[in-house]
Amino acid sequence: MKRHHITAIVLLVVVAAISVYTGGIFLSLREPDVIKPGEGVTEVRKLSDYFAPLKGTRGDTDVYVLKGEQEGGKVLVLGGTHANEPSGYLTAVVLVEQAKVTAGELIVIPRANNSAFTHNDSQEGAPLYVHFTNAAGEERQFRYGSRASNVIDQWPDPDVYEHASSGQQLSGSETRNLNRGYPGRADGNLTEQMCYAITEMIKKEDIGLTFDLHEASPEYPVINATVAHERSMDIAAMGSFDLDMMGIAMSLEPSPVNLRGLTHRELGDFTDTYPLLMETANASQGRLRGATNEKLALDGKDKYYVSAEALGMLYVPYDENGHSIEERVGRHLQGVLSYTTAYNDLYGEVVTIENVPTYDVMLAAKLGDYLN
Amino acid sequence: MTIVYLVILAAVLALVIWNLFTEEKLQNQLTAMMVIIPLVLRLLMIK
Ligand SMILES: [Zn+2]
Repeated sequence: MKRHHITAIVLLVVVAAISVYTGGIFLSLREPDVIKPGEGVTEVRKLSDYFAPLKGTRGDTDVYVLKGEQEGGKVLVLGGTHANEPSGYLTAVVLVEQAKVTAGELIVIPRANNSAFTHNDSQEGAPLYVHFTNAAGEERQFRYGSRASNVIDQWPDPDVYEHASSGQQLSGSETRNLNRGYPGRADGNLTEQMCYAITEMIKKEDIGLTFDLHEASPEYPVINATVAHERSMDIAAMGSFDLDMMGIAMSLEPSPVNLRGLTHRELGDFTDTYPLLMETANASQGRLRGATNEKLALDGKDKYYVSAEALGMLYVPYDENGHSIEERVGRHLQGVLSYTTAYNDLYGEVVTIENVPTYDVMLAAKLGDYLN
Repeated sequence: MTIVYLVILAAVLALVIWNLFTEEKLQNQLTAMMVIIPLVLRLLMIK
């Protein structure tokens, strides 16, 4: 055997070792995080219960139902529409693990785009996981995923993504963005099918109020904001007044009529629900950030954002204290509570959510204190 | 569509492995090795 054949065999063995090691890491990202439902959860369904073709795919996801003893309305919370926006996902997890509903029904989907949790955005250097310590001193781990569905689950991207019901054209990769695919299509791609299943669930369950929880980079104009469909505007106005009284600055944005495929547009147009979308500030997905790691995702402290603030380039106040995950989850939780109260008051559809930390409580605590 | 893609990918992978064995310069063999890894992971639909 010649010398270069021997090196080729040695290198193939190295390839095998690297592939097994890295492949193991990539495969492990498909394991769903452990979510420990609290005593408020009365039933766990699957999204595929509303659209059977999702069954067995990575587009299927858990749907947690918290039903109160008294009759009332129904509220839906979508976390993880974008899996790289941890406050939205973790707010939904806190609701599943802590909330108790005495009247009406709260339905929570923490991983709305389950496929997006199974990979990371390439070249972003994002952390694989974020960690917390619960009250019992145990470690809890949650995925930091991607903005879009995994290409392994949905391929190829078209050059131009055409939104099915409007013909709106966006860049090809948006075809895997859950929040560009509503109301969805039964015979569409996996992301459109997930949208379709969520829309079907809203119709079948006759959900009155729908929250879609997001984060955005601090230089993005729509931040610390609630985006509301025109039908949801009364709830949004009344709720944001309540938030204002608590010292939570929340800007109110009307859902643009010609920006299609988003929850706050299509769920309002195609179903009877009142959709609201909330945004908090996440430096770890911003373009001006420094080192991208778990610490940045959790404390939001970044000296480059402090400099950007000094230059007047941001849409949220930014100082060396950053924007912690507690502040961001606290804003979302308080938003869910305040807008739900406004919905109760305006439409008489009572949904009473208890045992959820308010903004002030969350700000003074550690997120792990509210994990089981 | 995915099957066609994977068949093309498998063909490229086979050619790179063949190159790894015919190439006599270690430097070029190392290059081939690096190219093989993502091809293997995609062929197995892992990444
Ligand atoms: Zn988002």
